[in-house]
Amino acid sequence: MPIVFAPLNIDLRIVRVLADEKTKKHLESLGITVNGNVTVLSSSGGSVVCRIKDGKVALDSNLSTKIFVA
Amino acid sequence: MKRFALAGNPNCGKTTLFNSLTGSTAHVGNWPGVTVDKRDGVYKKCAEPVAIIDLPGIYSLSPYTPEEVIARNYILDEKPDCVINIVDATNLERNLYLTTQILEMDVPVVIALNMMDAVEKAGDKIDAKELERRLGVPVVKISALKEQGLSELMDKAFNESLKERKGTTVLQDTALAHLIGDVKIALAGQKVANPLFHAIKLVEGDEIEVEMHKDTLTMVQEFKETFSDEIFGNDFEALVADGRYKYISKHFAPVLVRQSKEKFQMTRSDKADKVLTNRWAGIPIFLVILFLIFHLTFSENFLFLGSIFNLPDLETLGLLTEEGEPISYGVRWLACIYDGAIFSPGVIINNIWNDMLVGELFGWIQGLVEGSSMAGWAVGLINDGIIEGLAAVLSFLPPILVLFLFFSILEDSGYMARIAFILDRMFRRFGLSGRAFMPMIMGFGCSVPAMINTRTLADDKERTATVRVIPFFSCGAKLPILTAVAGAIVMSFGLGNADLITYSMYILGIVVAIVSVLLMRGTTLKGETPPFIMELPAYHAPQFKNLMIHLWDKTKHFIKKAFTIILASTIVIWFLTHFSFDWKFLENEEINESILAGLAKLLQPLFTPLGFGSQLGEFGWVFVVAVVAGLIAKENVIATFATLGACLMAVGGFDFGAIGGLDAINASDGIAAVQAMIIATNITIPALISFIAFNMTTIPCFAAVGTAKSELGNKKRFNWTLVFWLVASYITGAAVYTIGSWWWTLFIWLAVVAAITTVIVLYNKGKIKIKLPKKKVKKSNPSCCEGCSNCSLCDDATKINEKNDK
Repeated sequence: MPIVFAPLNIDLRIVRVLADEKTKKHLESLGITVNGNVTVLSSSGGSVVCRIKDGKVALDSNLSTKIFVA
Repeated sequence: MKRFALAGNPNCGKTTLFNSLTGSTAHVGNWPGVTVDKRDGVYKKCAEPVAIIDLPGIYSLSPYTPEEVIARNYILDEKPDCVINIVDATNLERNLYLTTQILEMDVPVVIALNMMDAVEKAGDKIDAKELERRLGVPVVKISALKEQGLSELMDKAFNESLKERKGTTVLQDTALAHLIGDVKIALAGQKVANPLFHAIKLVEGDEIEVEMHKDTLTMVQEFKETFSDEIFGNDFEALVADGRYKYISKHFAPVLVRQSKEKFQMTRSDKADKVLTNRWAGIPIFLVILFLIFHLTFSENFLFLGSIFNLPDLETLGLLTEEGEPISYGVRWLACIYDGAIFSPGVIINNIWNDMLVGELFGWIQGLVEGSSMAGWAVGLINDGIIEGLAAVLSFLPPILVLFLFFSILEDSGYMARIAFILDRMFRRFGLSGRAFMPMIMGFGCSVPAMINTRTLADDKERTATVRVIPFFSCGAKLPILTAVAGAIVMSFGLGNADLITYSMYILGIVVAIVSVLLMRGTTLKGETPPFIMELPAYHAPQFKNLMIHLWDKTKHFIKKAFTIILASTIVIWFLTHFSFDWKFLENEEINESILAGLAKLLQPLFTPLGFGSQLGEFGWVFVVAVVAGLIAKENVIATFATLGACLMAVGGFDFGAIGGLDAINASDGIAAVQAMIIATNITIPALISFIAFNMTTIPCFAAVGTAKSELGNKKRFNWTLVFWLVASYITGAAVYTIGSWWWTLFIWLAVVAAITTVIVLYNKGKIKIKLPKKKVKKSNPSCCEGCSNCSLCDDATKINEKNDK
């Protein structure tokens, strides 16, 4: 499911990232990689704040529909 | 001299370390992307002095934003003698992702494990010795803030720089190891430096790399066709990223021993974020904070205590003489703090500075000059020209600094990144991402760093649009214009509230910015709104030392400007107002025959639609002069007011009684000078507001124009930016003036706006077609690459060909 619908505070695994090349690369260097772990901390109006590794990253509503987790 | 580069993730403490090592005072803030350019300093405590280079933060060596390109290019092309990789120990895995890439290069590396204090405070432990063994390069625990472990770090780095190091990779166990090895050998055969690093980047399909090694790319592509992974397919880039993270979590991460096994512990930052980034509460909280900042800086009724308790003013207390002067020296001090209401801290500091310090000092100097045996013109130059001008500018130091202090606190606490996030949703509607908020809010301080900061924006069109609207976020130097004119409106017309006028002008600037962005994103700068991806740093209490560094830098900059460019401008303006075209010296009252008046009168009609042109009569040109002087530096506007105001007071035929003599001019933040100009020109309120609006939105100062030129990097785009600023300010000024003078013109303006909007929307939907003039196709010639927009080769080459034909 897209990360925007994911339940809060649960360890999730990223299965697919549908962004363009450049954005995808940037997400990877922030730790958002296929197979990587992520936890959604809050989700409001489509935008998402999630914990990746030990950092906190904010994503806009458009992007949060393109990252799929399981 | 040896050169050591500081590299690491954004916001991991590079600049703090840089400041500690070199004794510099570079700007530090708690959000990713404060440093956007490299800078150097010298560390002197090693065996020999070493140059330290601070680089912008990067998450990986595949750059995403322009400032990341700077860091990558430095490490690769300038070949530092050692790379000091700063690793934020509180986010070890993510930070080591960059480390694995730096290690692939043939350069000595030392790891500085920063923020160890925060890790230990949480009760966790990191085995640095073990990490050092596994990484194969020295690891030193440091605290950049508390200056701990710095000499050990530098000694290790110095030792390493004497040795050679060959790149190593963590990808040796992945399916791509073989391909990487082959490409590396091929590149090494071509004598490419750092073959391992380039080989891996080529396999990843890095844009810059693919451009550079087109012929070797076929090796990768052939392999790609035969390759398939069950999860990643043949997406090598994702495969490499996964390979790095897997290795990191398996081999490096275990050196961190966490005290608590519980995974989802809410930190204090998380709890604060629950409220501050809340969907509904976020924006109201931000607005309240913004209001508080302005209240603490400008309000003469602190927390509205005066109104709530109905406090008596100084006159009712019998502390003023009949002329309204304080009865004693003590009361003068009291008057700085209290008059019917307690003043806010910003106003108190301002009053003390202006009434007790600057006013006294300059008054004393003016007295000395007048009492001396100098020639009349020299007294005029010093007193009316230089001192009036300087005093007017310097009197604005306190509010600018206080406002700046509050913004520094917001910045240092980590709140700024949150505001960018909560505003993202709103910005998206205008076609910008929340990231653009950072440079915009910096614009309230000064446009120059704000424009440079647009380097953190990944999208080129978003960058251009942001650079163009930054001047509309009224900078510190424009504040004096606002308060002086607003103050004069209140004093002369007895109307309204000066604070309210100032606030509304700030809002007007923001509105103009929004409209311009919408217009640009709908027409010339069309494009998809870039994604918003931002790290939210942990909150921390603002560092006193940091705040003082910020303030000191700002003060230095301001004073330097006051005594150089502004001083020079006031002298030039004084000369131009006191000499006629036949080089005859003029007394103050003959100002109308001066060179300046002659020149300004030529331009005067241009400003008629804005309300401060020909309709102001004989002396109307003073406003034109102020506008032109503002193009050099906006502080000049207020300095020009002071110089011209002093001259106008000498002109006969007007009743200046309401102002209170020449002394008032240098004691009242330029308000009296503007009042003199109002009396001499009969300018109306809408025209005065239009004057501020024009100054706020027109071409910014020299420094900002220069910055815009280098940041836009494209001459054509820069020229259009200048045109844009002129048109935007002219339209804004004209709209303010006409609507303010004749309210019904509002409907005409609305109709025009509606018509333009309709045309743009319909055009974008393809419903109507407008024929745009096609670009002329230049004659092609064999030596020209063709298709480059800013290449002068074509024209030159054609000319040469023509010559040859003859």
